[in-house]
Amino acid sequence: MLKVSGIETYYGKIQALKGISLEVNEGQVVTLLGANGAGKTTTMKTISGLLKPKLGKVEFLGEDITGLRPDQLLRKGIALVPEGRAILSSMSVYENLEMGAYHRKDNEIKKDIESVMAQFPILEERREQLGGTLSGGQQQMLAIARALLSKPKLLLLDEPSMGLAPLIVADIFKLIREIKNNGTTVLLVEQNAKQALKVADYGYVMETGKVIFNGEAKDLLEDPRIVEAYLGKRASTVESVRS
Amino acid sequence: MLGEILNPYYLQVAAFIMINIILAISIYITLSSGQLSLGSAGFMGIGAYTSALLTIHFELPIIVGILAGAVVAGIIGILIGIPALRLQGVYLAIATLGFGEVVRIIFVNWESVTRGSIGLSGIPHMGRELLRFFKDIGFDPDMIGLKNNQFIYLLVLLILVLINIILIWFFTRQNKSRIGRAFAAIKMDEKAAEAMGLNITYYKVLSFAQGAVLAGFAGALYAHVLAYISPADFAYHRAIEILIFSVFGGSEVILGAVFGATFLTLLPEALRFISEYRYMIYGAILVLMMAFRPQGIIDASVLNWFKKNLKSKRGTNHGTRINKNN
Repeated sequence: MLKVSGIETYYGKIQALKGISLEVNEGQVVTLLGANGAGKTTTMKTISGLLKPKLGKVEFLGEDITGLRPDQLLRKGIALVPEGRAILSSMSVYENLEMGAYHRKDNEIKKDIESVMAQFPILEERREQLGGTLSGGQQQMLAIARALLSKPKLLLLDEPSMGLAPLIVADIFKLIREIKNNGTTVLLVEQNAKQALKVADYGYVMETGKVIFNGEAKDLLEDPRIVEAYLGKRASTVESVRS
Repeated sequence: MLGEILNPYYLQVAAFIMINIILAISIYITLSSGQLSLGSAGFMGIGAYTSALLTIHFELPIIVGILAGAVVAGIIGILIGIPALRLQGVYLAIATLGFGEVVRIIFVNWESVTRGSIGLSGIPHMGRELLRFFKDIGFDPDMIGLKNNQFIYLLVLLILVLINIILIWFFTRQNKSRIGRAFAAIKMDEKAAEAMGLNITYYKVLSFAQGAVLAGFAGALYAHVLAYISPADFAYHRAIEILIFSVFGGSEVILGAVFGATFLTLLPEALRFISEYRYMIYGAILVLMMAFRPQGIIDASVLNWFKKNLKSKRGTNHGTRINKNN
């Protein structure tokens, strides 16, 4: 569905991506992992048109979409939930959701907002509340719900668990699984490697602008190199004690 | 009796209030998409000179001149806007301020057309043209007990009030429309708006150009109300003055612009009796204002308060009666 081949992106003279290639197949959740500064967000920004690559190509459903603006991508079916849950803080929850369907011109918008509200009961409760007064987790839910209202074929999620309490992080990942079950393809950028690999079908691990490992998510979860570098031995013992 | 109330001086001040309201709305529109432009004096000048030159040299009707002034300002607004809107915040303010100065210096130096810093005089006066029209169809102001002067200024004021009502109606509607939503979203968070699939550049240029059209329109009206313009009318201090109208009144709501322009046009006139101190008081009010109410006099919560109080008027009467019974 999405095919990224050899993209190289620069911030001024600094090269942030040194030839990233990855592929997302329809119906999958694909995750992009890596430490701070590995280039995950830069990759996401390049795919979503916020940055333009110097080299390389991004294809969506066989069409070259390199360097298209975010609004053009949205019309083709790619929605982005940017890092840091960009919420319109002085608009109500309902108005935020309406903005998510901004480019749509069909008559189903109201119906879809209601069905998204049903999927996110916390938003239903707070439909008149201003976006800025929601908690971090609720804002993230709202950002995801808003992106879903554009009826995307592919959803790009940039660090949805960032800065959230563990319980809420679990909710977010549950939600990602639901989104996948509803037939939307997801590309997920995460630092929370273990949780991400649990929901994902396929994973890529990045380091300093390059992909260093990739493979089936369940294989990555057991790969000793990845366990050591990103999951942490300690974390896995804690997990085994818990279970 | 009517003749005594309708003092031409008051009418003239009222006419300037109306023009200043249009200018304040012009900057409110650009601010509503989160952009600080200080080019409004430049666009105002472009509108004024365009209309004045067209009506003087080609003897076009005033209304054609005014519309041409607005259109030319709008076109230049788009041309300037596309590259300038890559800048944000204070950088955009500086760039647009520079634009305004360039415009003014062109007016000063292009003497063969603009007559330099002497300015253009003999611009057809809107009121006088209308008076001539009314006299041609056999109507004389004496018939309703008005002197020519009073009739002229009254007519101009009525036209300006009408224009303002239409503009305020239009932009209030726009605020509630898709376009208004897009402006608000861009103002709140540009990145979020972009992620939602708004074409940021389009809406920014749109709001910038709308501001330019309005400023040009107001400038053209100014030229035909005053009948004389010079480059000094469209200098840097004018740009700041227009910005203050909106910021003082409250830049979040359109009524803030209306209030700011009205109050700040009246204030120096009302303080005229203390002559040279009046601008000190004007300045002091602005300083106090920025210290204690930086969002401007009128904001959304003030409007809500008014709405609530007007609504509960009937309810209060009811309530007091219950209290008395107790």
